[in-house]
Amino acid sequence: MSSLSTRHKVELIAAGFISLFFIVIFPLLNAHGMVSDFTINLWGKYLCYALLAISVDLLWGYTGLLSLGQALFFSLGGYMMGMYLMRMIGDLGQYHKPIPDFLVFLGWTELPKFWKPFSSFPFAFSLILLLPGLLALVFGFLAFRSRIKGVYFSILTQALTYGASLMFFRNDMLMGGNNGFTDFKFILGHDLRSATTQRGLFIVTAIVLLLVYTSLRLLSHTKFGLVQRAIRDGENRVLFSGYATAHFKLFIFVIAALIASIGGALYVPQVGIINPSEMTPDKSLEAVVWCAVGGRGTLVGPIIGAISINSLKSWASRAAPDYWLVILGGLFVVVVLLLPGGIVSIPARLKSLWQRVTRQPSA
Amino acid sequence: MRTLTRFFSINLLFLATLVCASAAQAPRDTIIEAILAKDKARKIELIGSLVGESDEAIKPLLTAWKEDGLFVYQTPEGSVSILVMLAGEKDANDAQAALRIDNGQPLLDAAGKPVHLVGGDLTAVEHDAELRGAMKNVLDLLALATPDVVKRIQAIQAVGFSQDVEKIPALEKRLALETDSGARKSLREALAVTRLKASDADKLTAFNELKDLHSLSSYDLIRTAMRDAEKAGKPELAEAGAHALKAIDLHRTKINFFGTLFRGLSLGSILLIVAIGLAITFGLMGVINMAHGEMIAVGAYTTYLVENIFGTGITIPFFGFSLPIPGIHATGWFYQTYFMVALPLSFLTAALVGIALERSIIRFLYRRPLESLLATWGVSLLLQQALKLMFGSNNVQVSSPSYLSGNWTIDDITFGWNRIFVIGFAGLIVFGVWLILTKTSLGLLIRSVMQNRNMASCMGVRTERVNMLTFGLGSGLAGLAGAFISQIGNVGPSLGQNYIVDCFMTVVVGGVGNLAGTIYSALGIGLVDQSLQQILLNPVLGKILVLVAIILFLQWKPSGLFVTRSRNLDD
Repeated sequence: MSSLSTRHKVELIAAGFISLFFIVIFPLLNAHGMVSDFTINLWGKYLCYALLAISVDLLWGYTGLLSLGQALFFSLGGYMMGMYLMRMIGDLGQYHKPIPDFLVFLGWTELPKFWKPFSSFPFAFSLILLLPGLLALVFGFLAFRSRIKGVYFSILTQALTYGASLMFFRNDMLMGGNNGFTDFKFILGHDLRSATTQRGLFIVTAIVLLLVYTSLRLLSHTKFGLVQRAIRDGENRVLFSGYATAHFKLFIFVIAALIASIGGALYVPQVGIINPSEMTPDKSLEAVVWCAVGGRGTLVGPIIGAISINSLKSWASRAAPDYWLVILGGLFVVVVLLLPGGIVSIPARLKSLWQRVTRQPSA
Repeated sequence: MRTLTRFFSINLLFLATLVCASAAQAPRDTIIEAILAKDKARKIELIGSLVGESDEAIKPLLTAWKEDGLFVYQTPEGSVSILVMLAGEKDANDAQAALRIDNGQPLLDAAGKPVHLVGGDLTAVEHDAELRGAMKNVLDLLALATPDVVKRIQAIQAVGFSQDVEKIPALEKRLALETDSGARKSLREALAVTRLKASDADKLTAFNELKDLHSLSSYDLIRTAMRDAEKAGKPELAEAGAHALKAIDLHRTKINFFGTLFRGLSLGSILLIVAIGLAITFGLMGVINMAHGEMIAVGAYTTYLVENIFGTGITIPFFGFSLPIPGIHATGWFYQTYFMVALPLSFLTAALVGIALERSIIRFLYRRPLESLLATWGVSLLLQQALKLMFGSNNVQVSSPSYLSGNWTIDDITFGWNRIFVIGFAGLIVFGVWLILTKTSLGLLIRSVMQNRNMASCMGVRTERVNMLTFGLGSGLAGLAGAFISQIGNVGPSLGQNYIVDCFMTVVVGGVGNLAGTIYSALGIGLVDQSLQQILLNPVLGKILVLVAIILFLQWKPSGLFVTRSRNLDD
């Protein structure tokens, strides 16, 4: 018990230092010109990806549900935020009309009805939570009620994502079609192109990540977290012990969808574009790679994975653009086959290896 | 006229032969007679007699006559006048080669060399508006007699839709001569459509005729004629028109129905061909092979290579080394057999890639299905990139052998050969798989290992080897599918991505572990997809609805159409 609490203390202190660094020191360095605006923007993107990775891990690592639909929730949140940002452009677009450029291009003269309320931030924000939440609720209810699990759940969520991306690729969906939304100007009255706004967004992302991390850490220590992991390890036994596993899974599925959606909503103003290619099943699988590489079943793992793989991607897409997919695919095969615990399991592995090496001469 | 009179006096001998010419004389001679005839009415009559003839000489001669291209040539000795047509390229002196009208041969001088003449130096054969009108009539209807049936039908349709009442006699004459059934049908249609402009009695017969013909293309014309009849206060005529429209509508519905059925069947067959390999690896072995789509692409690229080897060869950017692959320059039927060679090769290549994949990665993951999904997705990325580096990132085109292109039309319903072939081949593949699984010792081993791996192993079955061969079989079938898909669309490195979701859906809906279920679900999904497209007129929306329908279907039957019963709690 005491060893556990020291481990906790260490973790708590480490988490505190890291978040202090990201929330206070990093932005301060940026404000004084020691960290470039590009870097802080890049790291803001990584932190959004970390939110997505955590949502995958919550389902896969903690509950045993491999969802390939997290990219859908991520981009739904992004699209809701994008709609608000599109409204904030006002008449500063290419055509200088009070409606978004792509609508002008499609021959619209006034705003379609469902676009109108998006000029209010509270409405957009509530939809960021409501729309993915409701979709996850309905889909999850249907899927868990009929006890779809394992690979079937993966395949179905993949189909859902695929269907949704097909829909968003269409122009008559009035969501920008192929090109999606871009050219954002303002958020809550602040200029999106200024370094200060970007720094603010970075701080918000870091705080959200810290909150998500802490609350999930707390959740995993409750009885709920225990049931959650029991479902992963032997769902039928939990079911026979009298727990309605479907309800537990549904709750987790909705929570994960919300986390992904918030990640997407923070991602869009920092990256400046959202289009349906963010929604494809491949993107979901990519998020699964981050999670697997970092180490699933832990909360730090997905964050480490998302940041390291995306740094690798940023480097590879400049140094060897042809080989990025090879690296990603190869990494995946290697991690699954040789390092199922991911990066976070490396210290423990080294330790046991060391122990074996040191023990052998004595034996 | 003066020229002709002179000519007439000189060339008496020549004329004599013409005068004695029988009624069934050659069109060439008829034209010469028309040129030489003094009386204009006689000229027009002679020209008119050419209507419906199909001789090749008519068109160039009449066209030349209309456009001042026929001339009277006098030999240097001045004794004989000959009718010539100037044709071909003009040389430096503006001279052209001269062709004799009476036999179409080049005009030769005393030394036997072809004569070149300058048009301006000669006297042109004259013509006036009336003659030109008669000639145009002949030329217009000449197309009705084109030897090539397809062109003939096009010409007949063109005449029909011009609705020129003057042309009714010509069409009738041609109908009497016509032997080809397709052309006869077009002629009847053209006649009827033209009669819509004629007298009321004719209109009535036209309506009835069009009703019997189910003429789709004349729908608008019938409607116009019917409205005219309504306005003119002729109820029975308007009623006949309405009946005709109704019959055509019914016919259209029938065509759409059978067309949709056929397209649905062929789409279902494609799904079946691509999914049957997955039904073996996923359904029987329980391996989630996300690289299945890339096996399809491997098969398609193999077909592409074989096609080019049979052709002129090709240079591929093989990992940056620009590897030339020689071709054997086959032509004719030998080239066409490339597809028959490509089929087994596609199977073998994909099967080998599949076996390599099984040996190196999948065999470690039999007990961890979710992780096999992730690892094979990694493999699929690797393979996609490898294909890109080997063959370039652009799509390539595989030309279909002649026996796979073309259509077969029954009663206005079009059946593409390649689609019929795909349906037939899906049947063959299913039969082949059934034979392998039920009639061979390998099939027996496969089924025993899939039912109970440990028990089979205890009985001395080399399960490792059986796993390898089963996975090879499933991948090989995907390769075969690739060979077919190369005939239907373009081949690109990410070809497999278009099919992978559909493949999994098909297998899951059919019921995992059941080949019969895969067959039913493939055909069912194909039919539903095409029907929705027909109803919604929107392919993407149709596809989305199919996905939603599948998700809802799995609510009702969570383990698919056919359930493999088991007492195992976790199955």
